Amino acid sequence: MGWFTNRKPIDDQTKPLSKASRKQCWDSRDSFFACLDKIGVENALDPENAAQIQTHCAKQESTFNNDCATSWIKYFKEKRVVDIKRERMIAKLESEGAQRVDLGYVGSAATPPSHRK
Amino acid sequence: MSVLGGYRGILRLTRLPLASLRYNGAAIRCLSCNVYKLQEQKEPPTKKRPLSRIPIGGSSSNNSHGEKNISDAIEFTTWKAALLFITLGGGLYFLFSKEKKRLEVEREAEANRGYGKPSVGGPFSLVDFNGNVFTEKNLLGKFSIIYFGFSRCPDICPAELDKLAAWLDGLKSKDIELQPVFITCDPARDSPEILKEYLLEFHPDIIGLTGEYNAVKNACKQYRVYFSTPPNLKPGQDYLVDHSIFFYLMDPEGRFIDVLGRQYDEASGQAKIEEHIDAFVPEAERQKRKDNWYSFLF
Repeated sequence: MGWFTNRKPIDDQTKPLSKASRKQCWDSRDSFFACLDKIGVENALDPENAAQIQTHCAKQESTFNNDCATSWIKYFKEKRVVDIKRERMIAKLESEGAQRVDLGYVGSAATPPSHRK
Repeated sequence: MSVLGGYRGILRLTRLPLASLRYNGAAIRCLSCNVYKLQEQKEPPTKKRPLSRIPIGGSSSNNSHGEKNISDAIEFTTWKAALLFITLGGGLYFLFSKEKKRLEVEREAEANRGYGKPSVGGPFSLVDFNGNVFTEKNLLGKFSIIYFGFSRCPDICPAELDKLAAWLDGLKSKDIELQPVFITCDPARDSPEILKEYLLEFHPDIIGLTGEYNAVKNACKQYRVYFSTPPNLKPGQDYLVDHSIFFYLMDPEGRFIDVLGRQYDEASGQAKIEEHIDAFVPEAERQKRKDNWYSFLF
């Protein structure tokens, strides 16, 4: 398939992902997100933030884009927004004196049982 | 005899106050001897003790054996009895609380098994990563833990499978056998070869199952597992599969025991599995218990 020649090796659907490649992707993601934290960008998918990311975190973003499968990139960026919102909500509730209730299947991190991977 | 008892007791009052106090009280039981005593010794009436505090037949037996016997009896009621009480009581408490916990877990499993038809689990027919047919019959004879996922899963499945590997090693070190089964929700990409390579990195015991799309869909349905693949996929396109993430613990009769969600970590999940395996009672045994006269105990 000639028009797919510039595809990343990690996007090869016929090969399983190895533990090492997953680890590499997660590490690149963490350093990219750390950079986003520094410049105060929450939503990397928002076009308004694109210019800012390009000036400050271009290197980290390109490593992240190279090391992670295409579907994971969007997933991690979406997840970041949700995670930040959730943490903010928990912090707000706790500052108002709310107490965590363990609902069993919901889990301590308040992750829904059905979760997009 | 009791007359004598009263007399002796009063004599001892001068030497052994503690023992005699008790002794006197026993003697006071009959009015006649009390009168006798008063006439003889002019002793002021002692404090009357309730009948329940007076040993049955105590006065007469104490009389015949004398002083030494009394002190022995007193000694026994103190430290030996206390020791006996503590060891026996402690032992029974430990036994009962352990049994109570076991019955609780068993009841929980019973409730999860559902009434009538089992609510989770059922017939399915898939292929394992060595090309052998794997059906619900392969779950019989041993405890199994089933997980649904796909090999290109970004972060949750790998974390969950690492946890599963820790459980398996922990259980193995305690000689508890558990058959781990991984069923893919993405049969289009997860070929037997890919599954084998993927799962081997987590634990060599995990059996990977795949099959035709409809066979996988049916297996997921039996376990009430939801999964969805994005529509309109181009060939070779990278995508994610949305699915529920639970471990399903099954008993050696192929029946559902419990689900383990993400709230369990490496230690608590293993403890939960051990609890269930320990509390497992075969169906025939359960039925027998139900028919027994002491069934209310369970």
